[in-house]
Amino acid sequence: MRGFGLALAFCSGLCAAQPQPQAADGMALLRRIYQATEKLSYTGTFVYQQGERSETSRITRRTGPGGDIERVEVLDGIPREIVRTRDTVRCYLPESQIVKVERRVDQRAFPGVLPAQIADLAQNYTVTRGESRRIAGHDCEAVVLTPKDELRYGYKLWADAGSGMLLKARTVDRKGNIIEQFTFAEFTIGNVPRDRVRASHAAQRWRIEDAAVAPADLARAGWSVNAELPGFRKVTEVTRKLGESRPVGQMVYSDGMAAVSVFIEPMAGRSEAVRPGPSSLGAFQIYTREVANHIVTVVGEAPAASVQRIASQVEYRRPQQ
Amino acid sequence: MKAKISALMDGELGQHETGAALAALRDEGEARAAWRRYNLIGDSMRAMPMLSEGFAARVAARIAQEPTVLAPARRQRPFAQAPVWALSAAASLAAVMLVGWLAFAPQDEPQLAKAAPQSAPAAEIAQVAPPDTANDYLLAHQGYSPRNSLQGIAPYVRTVSTNTLGARR
Repeated sequence: MRGFGLALAFCSGLCAAQPQPQAADGMALLRRIYQATEKLSYTGTFVYQQGERSETSRITRRTGPGGDIERVEVLDGIPREIVRTRDTVRCYLPESQIVKVERRVDQRAFPGVLPAQIADLAQNYTVTRGESRRIAGHDCEAVVLTPKDELRYGYKLWADAGSGMLLKARTVDRKGNIIEQFTFAEFTIGNVPRDRVRASHAAQRWRIEDAAVAPADLARAGWSVNAELPGFRKVTEVTRKLGESRPVGQMVYSDGMAAVSVFIEPMAGRSEAVRPGPSSLGAFQIYTREVANHIVTVVGEAPAASVQRIASQVEYRRPQQ
Repeated sequence: MKAKISALMDGELGQHETGAALAALRDEGEARAAWRRYNLIGDSMRAMPMLSEGFAARVAARIAQEPTVLAPARRQRPFAQAPVWALSAAASLAAVMLVGWLAFAPQDEPQLAKAAPQSAPAAEIAQVAPPDTANDYLLAHQGYSPRNSLQGIAPYVRTVSTNTLGARR
């Protein structure tokens, strides 16, 4: 509703013949945020809120020759640490002594999407400027993404006016309920010593779960999503491992802001219980169903109906020889 | 006042301001007109199906032809014991309430809002428990989220931040 309210302010602005906020301004700010995320070195502390949960994390990013390194350490609850180098993301889970490793397999921006997808955004969201606000001691400018249909959430982003660094990000459903929110409590831009972005765990005897991601052509294997969700298009498809050893296929669909993953895994040899139907975990909606002796699990940062719609369109046809 | 009404719809007013805004909505006037117009804009932006012009008036006219609708005391009766004609009256009443609720939400009693779902047949599909290894799915998904391009690896904290992580091993 917040996002909508902004669009509303936009409409009433028109009625009252006030200066019209330019949609181009919103896109320009959005581009600045993408660039800042890519270019800046910084350290900071942010709070992640979702439902009843509120967790503080420390984030550090170092850019420069030798590649960019980024590290985030969750300070509340179950300890965990994520370190991203140029082509690998490692997730350290000290309590279970596991390192989950994911390596990049193509030239796609990793992790994430190519900035070319920013153009997609304007087709699925109305992008406008929001009111400025002070966050973590910095004057921030706001950009609001109001969804053009009910298949996606709305977003409000606040960026430091000086650097373009994203300091607050809020996801809302169409009723205006907050789905999740990231807010920086403090942050400093500037040179970061190398040891600040190193993993704090040696993890020598830990179990390594390598996702063994490989490019794949799942359509050729007979799998397809019949009618793609309007505004969402396939951005990648891979085979990978989940957890210790389960091999799965993964297709990812995105509208430029949200993404939905379709996981396909053989039913044979599965030890976990399968519970078909909709579920949710944190800010993610999940839908599980059985197709041709496989379990299809659709996971997305999108409304439950959208996730279910994609799940319902997954189909297997025996490939022609 | 228009700005206040807009902020009210966004839930951005404090308690005191909300009271003042609601008070303004109580009387027919600029505030009430703004409330209706903003809701209409909102509905059209969300591509909600529009009711045809004069819909409320036509429903009201149809109901006026049904004398039973003017027997509110019957509402006390459990529906199971109610004769068929009373059920149809209740359905009509629910329809009136729904229309009234859409048009004048702020002044309505909470029970009016509750009456509407009785006429809505679609029920939410029951949720199941998430998969045992849901966090593996979330982590595998996160690498491809466009949010990473906006926020770096900050969004990764949401993928592995539930207590099911410790419980499942």
